[in-house]
Amino acid sequence: MISRGGFSRYRRQVAVWLISLAAGAALCFNALPSAHAENDLSPILKGLTRDDVLRMGEAMYRIGLLPSGEPMQAVVMGDVPVEGTMFTCVSCHLRSGYGSSEGQVRMPPIDGTRLYSPVSKSRRAPLVGRSTGGSEELYRPAYTDETLASVLETGIDPAGRRLNTVMPVYILSERDREIMVYYLKYLSTEPQPGVTETTLHFATVITEDVPGEDRDAMLVPLKNYISNWRLPKSTERGQRSSLYKREGTMKAMRTFTLAVWELKGPRETWREQLEEYYRKEPVFALLGGISTGEWEPIHRFCEDHRIPAVFPITDYPVISETDWYTLYLSKGFSQEGEAAARFLHGREDLSKTPAIIQVIRDEPAGRALSRAFQDTWVSLKHEAPSTVVLKRDEPIPASFWKELAGKNKKPVVLLWLNAGDFPELKLLTKGFKPSVVFASASLLGSRLSTLAESERGYVYVTYPYLLPQVSKGQRTQVGTSLQNDKVLMTRRSTALKMYSLAQTISDPLSKMRTFVSRDYFLELIEAAPDLVAAPATYPRLSFGTGQRYASKGCYIVQLTGGPNPELIKKSEWVIH
Amino acid sequence: MKIRFYHLFLPCFSVALSLFPAPAPAVSQAEYTRTVERYEIPDVTLINQDGKRIKFRELMNSGKPVVVDFIYGTCTTICPVLSAGYTNFQRKRGADAAKVQLVSISIDPEHDGPAIMRKYLKNYRAQPGWDFLTGSREDIDRVMKAFNAYIPNKMFHYPIMFMKAPGDETWVRIYGLIGTADFIKEFEKVVKK
Repeated sequence: MISRGGFSRYRRQVAVWLISLAAGAALCFNALPSAHAENDLSPILKGLTRDDVLRMGEAMYRIGLLPSGEPMQAVVMGDVPVEGTMFTCVSCHLRSGYGSSEGQVRMPPIDGTRLYSPVSKSRRAPLVGRSTGGSEELYRPAYTDETLASVLETGIDPAGRRLNTVMPVYILSERDREIMVYYLKYLSTEPQPGVTETTLHFATVITEDVPGEDRDAMLVPLKNYISNWRLPKSTERGQRSSLYKREGTMKAMRTFTLAVWELKGPRETWREQLEEYYRKEPVFALLGGISTGEWEPIHRFCEDHRIPAVFPITDYPVISETDWYTLYLSKGFSQEGEAAARFLHGREDLSKTPAIIQVIRDEPAGRALSRAFQDTWVSLKHEAPSTVVLKRDEPIPASFWKELAGKNKKPVVLLWLNAGDFPELKLLTKGFKPSVVFASASLLGSRLSTLAESERGYVYVTYPYLLPQVSKGQRTQVGTSLQNDKVLMTRRSTALKMYSLAQTISDPLSKMRTFVSRDYFLELIEAAPDLVAAPATYPRLSFGTGQRYASKGCYIVQLTGGPNPELIKKSEWVIH
Repeated sequence: MKIRFYHLFLPCFSVALSLFPAPAPAVSQAEYTRTVERYEIPDVTLINQDGKRIKFRELMNSGKPVVVDFIYGTCTTICPVLSAGYTNFQRKRGADAAKVQLVSISIDPEHDGPAIMRKYLKNYRAQPGWDFLTGSREDIDRVMKAFNAYIPNKMFHYPIMFMKAPGDETWVRIYGLIGTADFIKEFEKVVKK
């Protein structure tokens, strides 16, 4: 038993030891990295600015290229050489540096703040992956610039343990290693806009061309989601636990706000309006949003400000393999044009047809469909098709088809036109006999089922949704609840897309906990399991690192006969 | 309480410790499991990186030793290590690389089309003899199930690889990530059986 006097003496002794340890730590450990540190570059980096070093470090971290332009070299699994072109830091630790988890392999967070902090046994680190985000790292002291440089070269951490051999051991010059260390030291240490101690601010963008019913069908479910948001019970319970209180992580239970950013006037003025909204109220991310026109100005704004934007409702997403911040539901019209090209390519009887003609109107839908078809068709090593462009409101004279028929025998015709262009949904006039005709379900809309029976045998339709006969059998709870709302029922598809949004972001938002970061938010969405039959709109919504279009397929269908035709699949969902 | 000498010594000792990290433990032993299995290969047609239609059963019985793994193009950790293993295996075999049929099967067939798979193989400096296959979701599921490696979702995958000698009915199933030395050792066992 410890006597009172003895206990007091014991406490004093412990205090002196702790002070000694702290002094040692102060000598050993650098202070936590600050986003505003100046003049802290290693002497070996003399002549470079801080921005130079961060840019070079980013290239190493994200694309595996050294400042010389050569790929980084490393070794994994003890004896497997790898180059930066194969994979690099970002592959496992992700852009944010917050780490990930795959199978039984866990990649710990390596953002600056946590690298330069010690890890106690009980500390929970966020990880992207199938686990719920919690993972225990083994104890280690805080990294210093020196121990961080050392672990890159040796694979041995400051506690003297060898890291998992999945972690590459890098072969770097001293200068390149210092650049990497500097980049890691400041990784994800920038403050995140739109985040306060108590609130996470979101916005949604609506352009003035959107009809009222569509606007409501997007906005009502989104507002409901924001106002009803609460963490899953299990997460909430966890965050009330003593562990979270000790770490001050109650911040994770922030409330959400949603601002509505309405864009008016010509598209050229949208950027200015967006900047003004953002200046007045910085937001963490954009959710949903809707426009009947091209989304490009809003997409660019998000890329420039590094603002995540999830599932805007648009038929005109920006098609890019490298842009990062906007996650689309699909490629819109481009997906249909691409599917038609791949389908045709796979049909040996049709792909060698000498004449392939696209007919479009000079408007965004036609341009998007025809551009996607042509790009895909050419990438499959075919000659570019010919494209006939009709003026926006020009009536189609009967002579048009006659002239088209006169020039070509049995052509493949892609009629990327609206239902309104075809009286009684008869696509072609007498005397014109193409091999096959393609049309877009999105352009024909609800009149698709009234397509003239005489044409159903050779008309193929691009259909980028779950087939109606399948979705009928998959009425979700969400879909059923819509029946009580007249507006939402009339624009069911729009409302369901917002429910898909809710399904997509809920888990990432609850997993972010205190580690609120825009990149991390996107990474958590990327790593989420696929949504199968996402509220009865698409067969599957899925992401992966760098994937930006959740629904990746489009059926080619034909119609059965009769007044209530069914859609018959003529292709797989995804056509390669 | 007096401040004793060793209390002053402690900070210096801490500095010394940081400068001279503890000796590294020996490299961990191979952490994979090896079993011998029999599988019924499904008669499906898949698509390779060049867009060619490949009869999968024929490819598995092409007269060459076969190695199969399941990956996807945007995977973050497991697949890059598996693929770097393929790269190094081919490098070690040099001119004989094409005498072994390496096959990677996409478990993200909606995303992994020929163009993406071609780029992936290029990044890994793949030599002839390494094919990356995709297909319809149904066919990919059939292949995964045939190898007792079915996962309903790519995010749940795990490191697994299969090897078979030509004419042999049995497969060696390797669960876990392995280095090149172990890869070659297991492969030699399969072909010299």
